[in-house]
Amino acid sequence: MYATLEGLRRFNIPHNFEVVSIITLYAQWIRDGRLKVDPTWNTEGLKFSVQDPCKLVRQSLGDPVADDLRFVIKSVVGEENFIDVWPNKSNNYCCGGGGGALQAGFVANRRQHGKTKFDQLNATGADVVITPCHNCHTQVMDICEHFGGKWQTTHLWGWIVKALKR
Amino acid sequence: MSDQYDLSKLRTRVKRQIEKAVPDAKIDYCLTCGLCASGCPASGIEDMDPRKFLRYLVLGQNDIILKTNWIYSCSLCQRCKYACPMGIDVGRIVYEVKGMRPKEERPTNLQRSCDLQKAGNSTGIPDADFVWVVGDILEEVHELEPEWADLQAPMDKIDAQFYLNQNAKEPTVEPEEMVPLWKILHTVGIDWTYSSKWWDGANYCLFPGDPEDWEYTVRKQAETVNELGCTTYINTE
Amino acid sequence: MPKGSVLVVGGGIAGVQAALDLANSGFLVHLVEKTTAIGGKMSQLDKTFPTNDCSACILSPKLVECGRHFNINLLTLSDLISLEGEPGSFTAVVRQRPRYIDPDKCIACGLCAEKCPKKVDDEYNLGISKRKAAYLSFPQAVPLKYAIDPDHCIWIKKPGKCGACVKVCPADAINFDDTEKEHILEVGSVVLALGFSPYDPSSLDFTGYGRLPNVITTMEFERYLSPSGPCMGHMERPSDGREPSRVAWLQCVGSRDINRSCHPYCSSVCCMFAIKQAVIAKEHAHGDFSPSIFFMDMRTHGKGFEDYYNRARKEGVNFHRARVHSVLPGEEEDSLRLRYVNEQGETCFEEFDMVILSTGLEANKQTVELAKMLELKLDEDNFVKTDVFHPVSTSRPGIFVCGAAAEPKDIPQSVMEASAAAMEAGRMLAPARWQETVVKKYPLERDVHAEVPRIGVFVCHCGINISSVVDVDSVMEYAKTLPDVVFAQTNLFTCSQDTIDQMVNTIKEQGLNRVVVASCSPRTHEPLFQETLRDAGLNKFLFEMANIRDQDSWVHRDEPEAATVKAKDLVHMAVARVRGKGALPYNTVKVKKSALVIGGGMGGMTAALSFAEQDFPVTLVEQTDRLGGNANKLYRTWQADEVQPYLAETIKKINDNPRIDVRMNCQVEDVGGSVGHFTTQLSDGFSLTHGVAVMAVGGEAYKPEGKWNYLYSKNPNVHTLLEVDQMLIDGQADFKQTAQAVFIHCVGSRIPERPWCSRVCCTHAIDSAIKLKELNPEMDIFMLYRDIRTYGQRERIYQEARAKGIVFIRYDLDHLPGATEKNGKIIIQTHDPIVDGDITLHPDLLILATAIQPRQDSGNLSKFFKCAIDAHGFLLEAHMKLRPVDFATDGVYLAGLCHYPKPLEETIAQAKAAAARATIVLSQDEVPAESITAMVNEAKCTGCGVCVTVCAYSAVSMDEDNNVAEVNTDLCKGCGACVAGCRSDAMTLMNVGNEQLMAAVEAAFE
Repeated sequence: MYATLEGLRRFNIPHNFEVVSIITLYAQWIRDGRLKVDPTWNTEGLKFSVQDPCKLVRQSLGDPVADDLRFVIKSVVGEENFIDVWPNKSNNYCCGGGGGALQAGFVANRRQHGKTKFDQLNATGADVVITPCHNCHTQVMDICEHFGGKWQTTHLWGWIVKALKR
Repeated sequence: MSDQYDLSKLRTRVKRQIEKAVPDAKIDYCLTCGLCASGCPASGIEDMDPRKFLRYLVLGQNDIILKTNWIYSCSLCQRCKYACPMGIDVGRIVYEVKGMRPKEERPTNLQRSCDLQKAGNSTGIPDADFVWVVGDILEEVHELEPEWADLQAPMDKIDAQFYLNQNAKEPTVEPEEMVPLWKILHTVGIDWTYSSKWWDGANYCLFPGDPEDWEYTVRKQAETVNELGCTTYINTE
Repeated sequence: MPKGSVLVVGGGIAGVQAALDLANSGFLVHLVEKTTAIGGKMSQLDKTFPTNDCSACILSPKLVECGRHFNINLLTLSDLISLEGEPGSFTAVVRQRPRYIDPDKCIACGLCAEKCPKKVDDEYNLGISKRKAAYLSFPQAVPLKYAIDPDHCIWIKKPGKCGACVKVCPADAINFDDTEKEHILEVGSVVLALGFSPYDPSSLDFTGYGRLPNVITTMEFERYLSPSGPCMGHMERPSDGREPSRVAWLQCVGSRDINRSCHPYCSSVCCMFAIKQAVIAKEHAHGDFSPSIFFMDMRTHGKGFEDYYNRARKEGVNFHRARVHSVLPGEEEDSLRLRYVNEQGETCFEEFDMVILSTGLEANKQTVELAKMLELKLDEDNFVKTDVFHPVSTSRPGIFVCGAAAEPKDIPQSVMEASAAAMEAGRMLAPARWQETVVKKYPLERDVHAEVPRIGVFVCHCGINISSVVDVDSVMEYAKTLPDVVFAQTNLFTCSQDTIDQMVNTIKEQGLNRVVVASCSPRTHEPLFQETLRDAGLNKFLFEMANIRDQDSWVHRDEPEAATVKAKDLVHMAVARVRGKGALPYNTVKVKKSALVIGGGMGGMTAALSFAEQDFPVTLVEQTDRLGGNANKLYRTWQADEVQPYLAETIKKINDNPRIDVRMNCQVEDVGGSVGHFTTQLSDGFSLTHGVAVMAVGGEAYKPEGKWNYLYSKNPNVHTLLEVDQMLIDGQADFKQTAQAVFIHCVGSRIPERPWCSRVCCTHAIDSAIKLKELNPEMDIFMLYRDIRTYGQRERIYQEARAKGIVFIRYDLDHLPGATEKNGKIIIQTHDPIVDGDITLHPDLLILATAIQPRQDSGNLSKFFKCAIDAHGFLLEAHMKLRPVDFATDGVYLAGLCHYPKPLEETIAQAKAAAARATIVLSQDEVPAESITAMVNEAKCTGCGVCVTVCAYSAVSMDEDNNVAEVNTDLCKGCGACVAGCRSDAMTLMNVGNEQLMAAVEAAFE
């Protein structure tokens, strides 16, 4: 998100379109009633937490998109099944996988960086951590495994489909 | 014993080079308050933190700045800038320093991801494979899930309202992860399309530090969407 | 003829001080306050630094004086709507919102608030508690009148719906038909004392404010600590009411920040504010208490502040030089976790019960709107624009400003500026003095001399200050049992307006002829109670105080029972003393309407001009052959105005003014007399009488010695800041050949020998560095500092210096920079704590920011006027918070460096303030003189003459015909030296003679 938005701005690249995040659209569609979701599938009370991708939230769209993200998750898994992290939204920690860290090697350093994120997510006790960013997804999954976490790391879309009412 | 620094002349070359590229870098504004370091998950890695990094720049210790691999632990996440009283964006400064490192001395995979992206996408699969995988998976859904028999994944559809990018990870290693999003878009009923070129939503050229590479890939993506005539670019993240 | 009245806008401490100074020097004052009561922010504070005085206690007498003053027209719930006209003659329109409770009828019984069903957030307590729609903002409010909040009152919203207050009000004071009123006021000048707003940290998510319940602001914490606050002074944390034991303060929230709050300036007060809170909270705590302060630079730059900081460290306040990115929830219930990186680069975690944000000061919205309406210039930070040489003048003539509306500042500085603004506002109206005022008339005094004593005792709770330790009811019951006591009662705040009014009635109804108040210190409150006696028709000397607070409840907080016994003893003693007292005459001294100013520096000259321009003759004494003092050595101010042209202009004004007699190469040799009529002998043989004196004797630069020498006077390239200023004034040096310059801060300051901060040197050094950088942009400049103290808007030049690439390297007393010489070249060794590296510098120019110290002879001078000096040799004002330019000796005032190191703008403001305070005396024809004077029992006097020798005031002489001593009551100050010196027990002090003292002693041991 940031790479595109900031790239268009910084290099003054001509374009005839606006750039939006799918998260914003999910929230809009649920509010509009175009996307009908029902959390009753979550009979076992699976607990969910979330990672706010830096590039999407802090660096691009700020708290509104983070609020949308939470709204969508709560709509899909049930309000009571969402456990937020602290700090969160625009002030959330980076997972440690961004900025090329996942590609750069220095695995021990990357995991040391990710330890903060691990401790934070682990403290929620959530069963599932939703990561709407591919980098975050890879890193959160890696630190979970490396530091012995118990959660499952997933994208958001699968859960939406699970809750979908057509 | 402490490190020794003889400052008969302040060597500000690196600092000035950064300031040339980033006029509002404000490196000298640093109050050394340590707020950045207290909020940075990368503090302590490679015996460095954001405050020390700025401090070495202020003190003209260019060798340390150009040599430290901490720049690859800084994820340019800007959490420091978020609360810094002077609004100093250490990530932005690290980005410039990354670019100062000769390509051959950079972490191999980091540079390669960008090189691949410049050639099309970050995992390096041929565009034709992407088109084929999308078609193949769609067909599978049609076969196995009759209730989704009318699901679509349009490719290069001119004048669709929405353009959807696609992170290269899915078509390369977990193609079934593309399906949920198609289903959502289908349910909502929007008019959307993929592109068969410059379709990758990731942009790894942001990371090695060469703005021209970053610009190149964003420009390619923008041209593609402009050509398709879409008015909204959906980032899947 | 100009108008003889002044409009003062804003009823905080600055506005109140300006109003009192003006009203007491002959002007009618209209004091406009936007809320229901005066008192402002200071009334919301619990204790004040650096004296730890109870804020309300020291403020309250001023508020009451304001409220009762015949020449102050107090307009609450009011706003200035428009101002037309010219200096000397303005027409102001003030709009007063309805109170809905008739202040003439309201007896402040509180029934309306008790019965009012509508609860709303109490803004006086910053929303941490509720009040009713019918309310009184605080117990000592002036005027002590309830008000109805129209935004929340049920009746006002829907007439007929409630009306509970109307039913219960015993005074028929509720008036829902009250309407807005417009007052059209003709005034000669205007003083703006608009105050500030505390910065609202709600938008800073990382602080946790508004998200985590135990994160609060410093102002909120004051309300938690305050006896009149929602917790009655018990320290509680918001989430569960538990007493916190681990508390962190985070400094610079909304200050020194160009990122999130857009407040580049330093708010000046928050460092001391936080230290004070840490110290006071420790006192409040019942168990272990561990306070921690997280800061960037510790800014304790005011008088007494550095001592306070050092004491706090010794007493266990933890200071962390680290800022904290985010406040996080802790592991325990509602606790908070801070992660910080210390200067060694180590990451530390610490758990706290409560986090307090030291939020900064910002210009309030009202200031911005009013400035727009009045067409006043604001500065970049939306404060009212002033300049260094005219620190209380706005851009519009006739309108003056004081306090935090012009720049963030502390209370003493605000009070100084208030007096300075009063000076400026009054100076232009001097011809109209006493034209619009009325004189207070007291009822005829009852002659009680033949009556049997009927003593009334009033025992004060002082909120919880006394009653939380001393059982005041039992003290009151005890008082009733004492002989001649015919009446006793307790009061929540004896000094509040309603109690005072009630006391007048009680004295009359009960036929009291002696009064004892058992409360606080006579130093602050005796005049108020004595005035009350006069209002009730009693001679004011038929009064005694028992200090059961400062000398009892505060010092024996852990022994409530013993403290109660002691309170009874103190009351018993006071009753015994007052029983033997008689009425005394109100002596006066005719005022000699001229001033003596000692010191011809900027402070002295400014004071002299202030007097002369009001037509009061001045004698200005300068000990050297040159006017200007230290200002002669200054190149420019921090706002880059050159000092020398302004100095030359000022000297010219002095020399051209026929009212000013300048005496050069001259010193004071002897002083006699007292306020209204001093007699001073000068070294040039001249002697004069004068009504007042201003001491502006300056200070001097410390000469670097010992480990602070740094090759000074050994290597030609080592200079002090003032020497560099001289080079810049001379304009000869271009510094083009200087490749590297190093400044060393705090040379001789903040060390055991000179433990104060010299206040000006950080700003001065940084400005000099900027100037060098301007002259030679290629120069590398290093500043070796301990804390940068560019307080207030001076922070701007610190930022500018950094932006210019000037490098700041911190040092501490354990790692002093070292200087050596090699082949004439200077080598500086220092240590950078951030990279933990030893740094070697090779300056071509080494500049030492040396301390400012009191002049060696200012101690001697102070003795002439019986003025005190502090532990460091600076002249000691009467009260560090609220009387910053007065001496304890009446009629003598101080200004400038002899008080404490300060920059020019503050010296100028203080000098104007000193003149304003002195003008109160000079504007009267006569002033009260001592009534408690010595008396000779001629039957016992042997005529030995010892009393004549020991009298420091020349008040005793020998009646040669009868060979007995006689006392000149005009000169006698009642000091008692003659009484102590008399070998035949012939001397006695009226009302404090052996009779009264022995009665008190006997009472103590009864």
